[in-house]
This record gives sequence, structure tokens and C-alpha cells, in this order.
Amino acid sequence: MPSNSDSSSSSSSSTSSGEYQTPKRNSTSIDQSLDAIENQLASISMFQPDSLLESEPEPEPVPELEVSKEELVNGSVNVIEELPAKNEEGESLKASSSRVWTNASEEVEEMEAPPSPSSSGYDGGRGSSATSGIEDANDDDNDGEIVEVRSHGDSVGASDSQAPWTPGKRHGDEDDASISWRKRKKHFFILSHSGKPIYSRYGDEHKLAGFSATLQAIISFVENGGDRVKLVKAGKHQVVFLVKGPIYLVCISCTEEPYESLKCQLELLYGQMILILTKSVNRCFEKNPKFDMTPLLGGTDVVFSSLIHSFSWNPATFLHAYTCLPLAYPTRQAAGAILQDVADSGVLFAILMCRHKVISLVGAQKAALHPDDMLLLSNFVVSSESFRTSESFSPICLPRYNPMAFLYAYVHYFDLDTYLILLTTSSDAFYHLKDCRIRIENVLLKSNVLAEVQKSLLDGGMHVEDLSIESGSRSGSVSPHSSQSGLATESAERLRDTFSGVGGPAGLWHFIYRSIYLDQYVTSEFSSPINSLRQQKRLYRAYQKVYTSMHEKGIGPHKTQFRRDENYVLLCWVTQDFELYAAFDPLADKALAIKVCNRVCQWVKDVENEIFLLGASPFSWRLLSL
Amino acid sequence: MGCSASLPDRSSGRLGGLNPDNSGGNDAKNLRVKLVLLGDSGVGKSCIVLRFVRGQFDPTSKVTIGASFLSQTIALQDSTTVKYEIWDTAGQERYAALAPLYYRGAAVAVVVYDITSPESFAKAQYWVKELQKHGSPGIIMALVGNKADLQEKREVSVQDGAEYAEKNGMFFIETSAKTADNINQLFEEIAKRLPRPSLPDMNAS
Repeated sequence: MPSNSDSSSSSSSSTSSGEYQTPKRNSTSIDQSLDAIENQLASISMFQPDSLLESEPEPEPVPELEVSKEELVNGSVNVIEELPAKNEEGESLKASSSRVWTNASEEVEEMEAPPSPSSSGYDGGRGSSATSGIEDANDDDNDGEIVEVRSHGDSVGASDSQAPWTPGKRHGDEDDASISWRKRKKHFFILSHSGKPIYSRYGDEHKLAGFSATLQAIISFVENGGDRVKLVKAGKHQVVFLVKGPIYLVCISCTEEPYESLKCQLELLYGQMILILTKSVNRCFEKNPKFDMTPLLGGTDVVFSSLIHSFSWNPATFLHAYTCLPLAYPTRQAAGAILQDVADSGVLFAILMCRHKVISLVGAQKAALHPDDMLLLSNFVVSSESFRTSESFSPICLPRYNPMAFLYAYVHYFDLDTYLILLTTSSDAFYHLKDCRIRIENVLLKSNVLAEVQKSLLDGGMHVEDLSIESGSRSGSVSPHSSQSGLATESAERLRDTFSGVGGPAGLWHFIYRSIYLDQYVTSEFSSPINSLRQQKRLYRAYQKVYTSMHEKGIGPHKTQFRRDENYVLLCWVTQDFELYAAFDPLADKALAIKVCNRVCQWVKDVENEIFLLGASPFSWRLLSL
Repeated sequence: MGCSASLPDRSSGRLGGLNPDNSGGNDAKNLRVKLVLLGDSGVGKSCIVLRFVRGQFDPTSKVTIGASFLSQTIALQDSTTVKYEIWDTAGQERYAALAPLYYRGAAVAVVVYDITSPESFAKAQYWVKELQKHGSPGIIMALVGNKADLQEKREVSVQDGAEYAEKNGMFFIETSAKTADNINQLFEEIAKRLPRPSLPDMNAS
């Protein structure tokens, strides 16, 4: 990947790719010189945001910054140097086995890679030329973009198209003999322990029977030796395995995501399957090991493909937290009160959501809902079009709540975006839940909640441009522009000038703040220069990578990390109470970035009753699981 | 079917099931009727309901999850009204075990197949047998051959459908949700066959 962060940082990934290796450690690229100010940073209280102003950190070692700049300038040169090696590697592997994932298909990437030979002339796969059939082969989520990129190989950065994601299975005509299928960057498979295909992201499951059998053979071969295969690396491809009883899940990816992330995605994919069928589907395999599960999942392609798509845009998939729609405190309170009322009448969980964001939610006494279950549930509801047509009543299983039993979900859309989910253990509660919904709807209309929700959707949440570098000028509101105070000092203005009106102060482009206690996170709205879906996806991948490195078991947990590559400066800060991930302009000044992170934390604190669901705390699942 | 074993057994034995509270709901002039649609996936159950309830037809197929609930009231010529409370069930195999939840207590069952698909006709016969065994006694059953606009692709003859319906004491009709052909007729014919409360209130009071 031309613009991969590793390629420009001190650790060199190009030399090690292709070897069987342990997952890369990101520690090498952590700026060692940060240690000195790290302690300072960690000791700074969120409530004393100015303390950094007083204790200005030591000037950083100049070389570090200069190296970065140099590499930035020479970014494309680096890439070109890298390519021949990769091609050779691809060739040699290809020679050894035609069935292995050899083509180091120099993915044009879903990002604005610098122009490089890879995008125009690379002859990937088995010696075929770039025919129209494979033009979109490198695509991960969005055909339009890639086609455009491929057809204008000389102007890779030009494509910023925001073509919407199309739900459902695509390229169903492919199988493992198709070059286009083989070149896809990220495959997901579910198969049974007898090798029968259950789900494939691309291509027709039935046509992939042979391929599934191969995967099964690899898994059982290792298992027969009393071992377990977790990860195979072949060139740029990682093959990640997850065994769940009679169900095998496999991801084949050349997206350079960390093993931990891919494994966690497989776990979610399994959870989604359990949500639809419950774990008792295992019994079918006890009765008949060759049981064919595909009919049981009929019509659910769209649910899985939507989940896989969310791996590249929804931070909930790696943060294991949920996010709320920003709302004025009294508005959320009004919604919460009526949900609580309903929950007291025998409803297990009452959840009011807008798209993938929570408006309010309430659980019956002692009932606890895991954020991953919420993610899977909302993905199931949002991706299944039929819920929008009319009120529905359907069995669903919450894998973290009880993987063996169905609950019953009453689902009703109040408008295009806002929907209510009422969960119960009773299969004949429909009419009761329908009555509950009518009561809830009346209250929501009376207290204007639904209108406020639409307004919030339009306004968005926290905009980095609204962050003032000075303390005390916050109005304590998320609503846009209300806080664009004229109080910004000269220095703050100078800062903005430096970064030519792009992003927030000190080159802040975006941030994610996760409250550990609340199991909730908040992200800033995307703004310039992170405009295109492709850039957003690339940023999330970077966050995901850095999240994994912050939580790495061997050397972690880290408290702070400062990474600079040609795309971003990423600053992470993990405390007992929160985790902050912030992305800056790659030229951002470190001391200023740290200062801005303190401001972000203070800002979040200031508006927490608008961006978080406070008080209700139905997420005692950690306590329960003890 | 695979997930049937995991269903909590709580609903069995409770005849109530998913039935509206009927007390006082019915009088001789205003009937309230629970109706369930059954049939293979993709035969057009939801399309029939949406055509009937909203007058819409959406050619993009949307797989029903669990069951959808809709209601529609029609007025008959004898100035009675019938309010249909319709359970549009999912045709997917995994929901088959849940069907009793929806057809239990139903006064009307509409079994749908696709005239271009003999498999769906076989599945319809499975549902008829299941209803004969486990449905409410006296349930009114209609057999519906949908997608009648696709004459050139027809694989189940009108005669086959009509004969099977006749043998099983069902009302038979072919419909097209796409062209709206026979959709309203279907529900009107059902309404005519509904048993009317025979003025029990007079006797009681």
C-alpha cells in the first residue's frame, strides 16, 4: 500500500512483508521522545486544561519532525521504490502455487494514493491484462470509485466520488475461478465444519463449495495435529480463521488491518449469525454433520454485507461502544422517561434509535445490553428493508445476552430514520408492545422529540471548527456555530490561518472520544479535508490500527501514543475514564496537538449531557458478567 | 426449521397467541378479523398485502423478517365493515416453526403460491395440511395463485389450483399484485364467507 503509515515511519514494512510473521508492532513508530512529555500529559487533569500552557513541554527533537517532512515530500518516491520488490514477491509465490493468494495486486486502494506505476500498468493475477472485468476488482466497498480510478490511472487522487453503498450481495456471478473474485481485497466466508459453504461476501456460495472445502481442509489438518490455525500470511494477504463449534469463519484480506481487528470482525459476523438463528443451530450439525445451513439464512445476505460494510465506516465495530444522537438534555430525558415507563410494564429493553445512533434506551431491572449486541441489532433492523414498511414482530437473539434463546422484537419506524425496538421474552406480547408503541409515539410527538431528532440529524454533532483553543469561551452547547465565538484570541486565529481554514485549531481534523464508564463514544463530524468516503474509511482504518496497538496485550496498555506519517498525526490518550483518538494534519505541531487534545476533552465534558446518555446506565453487563 | 428447537415453549397451549383482544370488537355490522398469509418466500405475500392496504406495488423485493402487521377496513355492499388485521408472515424456512404463533386463532388463512413456480405450489399444499391439522377449527382458507400477469411463464395451471382448492374446501383465486388484478376481489370474497354474529346480543339482553 503506497501510503501506508508504516512505510514512512521508522519501521519498514516493505522488507518484512511476505514473511510469516507475528503481527506488526506499532511501538517502533511511537515517538520515543514523547516519553518526556507523556508523564506530563497523563498527569494533566481534564479540568485544568490550561495547565499545559503553563508547563510548556520541552521543544521536541528537531530531526524527528524533519524526517517526517522529508518523507512526506518524497512519498511517491518511496512508493515507487517499494513496488518492484512486491512484484517479485508476487511472482515467486505465484510460481510456487497457483491456488494461493499470490497476486500482490497493487490495489489502487480506496485512498488518494500518489500516482504510482501500480495504478496504471500493473499486471496482477495470473498474467491477465487489466480487462474491464477486473476494473473494479480492487474495490472494497465502492465500485464507482475504483472504476474511475482505474480508468484514469494517471490521476488517482482526482476521484472523490461519494457513490452510495449498495446493499446486498454483489458480484454473485463470481466464483473462485474468476479473476475479479480473486482480486477482491477483503473476503469473508462462513462455512460448516464439513466444508459446506454458508456465506460468502462475494460470489455464489454454492459455486464456492470447492473453495470452502479447501478452507475446511486447512483448518482440520491443523486441528488434527492438536493445534489451531489462527492466521496465515501469504504475501500481502492475511488469512484469519475463527472456529466456533461446527461453524468456521474465515477472512482473507490484503487491507493491512491488524490481525486483532480482523478477528474481532469475524466475531461480529458470527454474532450476527447467532442473532438470526441462535446458537442452537449447532444442534442441526449434531444430528447431521453435513447439514446445509444456507436455506436457514435465506434472505439475510443484506444483513451480513451491511455489517461488513460497517467495518469500514462505523467505529462501534472496533470500539465496542455505542454512540448517541446529540440532543438537548430535556429532549433525551423526555424520551427516556416514556421508555422507562414502558420497560416497567414488562418490556425487557426499549430502544429508540436514529439510524445507528441511540436517542435513548432503557432496560428492565437487572437486564443488561452489551454494546456489540446493540450494534448487531441495529444493523439487522436498519439493513432489513421490510421493517420500514410496517410494524413487525420477529424473533431475534442477542448473542451476549443469551445466545441460546430467542427474544421477540417489536420494530416500528416513526419516520425514515427514527425507529423503536421493544424486546420481550414473550412470544405473544405483540399487542401489548403495539400499545406501548402508541403511548411512546404520543409522548414523542407531544414533547417534540421526533422533530428535534430531525433537527439534530441536519445540524450534526461536534465540529472541530467549533473548538476554541482558549478555555472559558465554550457555550456548553453542541449546536453548530453557536459556539463560534468571537472570543478566539489572536494566537488562535493565527493557528487557523496556518492551516488555511481547514479543520480545527492546530490542524485538528477529527477525533473519537470513548467514555469507558458509559460504554459510549462520540466522534466529531467529518469536515474538510476528510471529505470523501474513501478518506473517512482510510482514517477509520488508521484509528482501528492505533486502537489495536494501544490495547495490544504483550506491550500494552499504553497511555499515550503520538504517530506521525504522511497522512496524519494520530494522538491517542487512554486513561481510566476515557480514550481519546485524534487525527491532525501531518504537519501539526506536537505540543499544540497535545494542548488541543486537552481542549477536546474539556469540550466533551462541557457538553456531555447532550452527546451522551447519562444516568440510565443499563449497561451493567460488566458487573453482571463477573 | 433449524431453529425451532430453541423456541421457548411458552406459547404452546395458550390459544390466545397473537390475537387481538376481541371483547366487544365485533358486532353484526362491524367485523374484526384476524387474517394470516402463508406461503413460500418470494411468492408475493407482502406485495398482495401492500397492494390491498396501500394500493402500492414495489417491484424491488424486500424480504419480510418475522412477520409484519397491517390492517385495512373494507365496506361491503350490505353496509357492514370488515376490519382485517393482517399478519404477513416471512416465507423463509427459519421462520416456519414460528408460523403457529401467527396463524393460531386466525379466522382466515390466505395460502399463496406463485403460478410460475411448482415448488411454491407444493409449499402451499404443505401449509394447507398444516392448517388443517393445527389451525383454528372453522378457519376460512383461501388459495391464491399470484403473479397471474406472468402468463407466459406459467407452470401451475388454473385447473390444478382450482382442483386442489375444491378438494380441500378452499376458496380459489388467481391474483396479480403488480397489476392489482383480483386483489380487492380476494378480500371481498373472503368477507362474504365470514360467519356473521347471529345477533347474540338480542338474546343475551
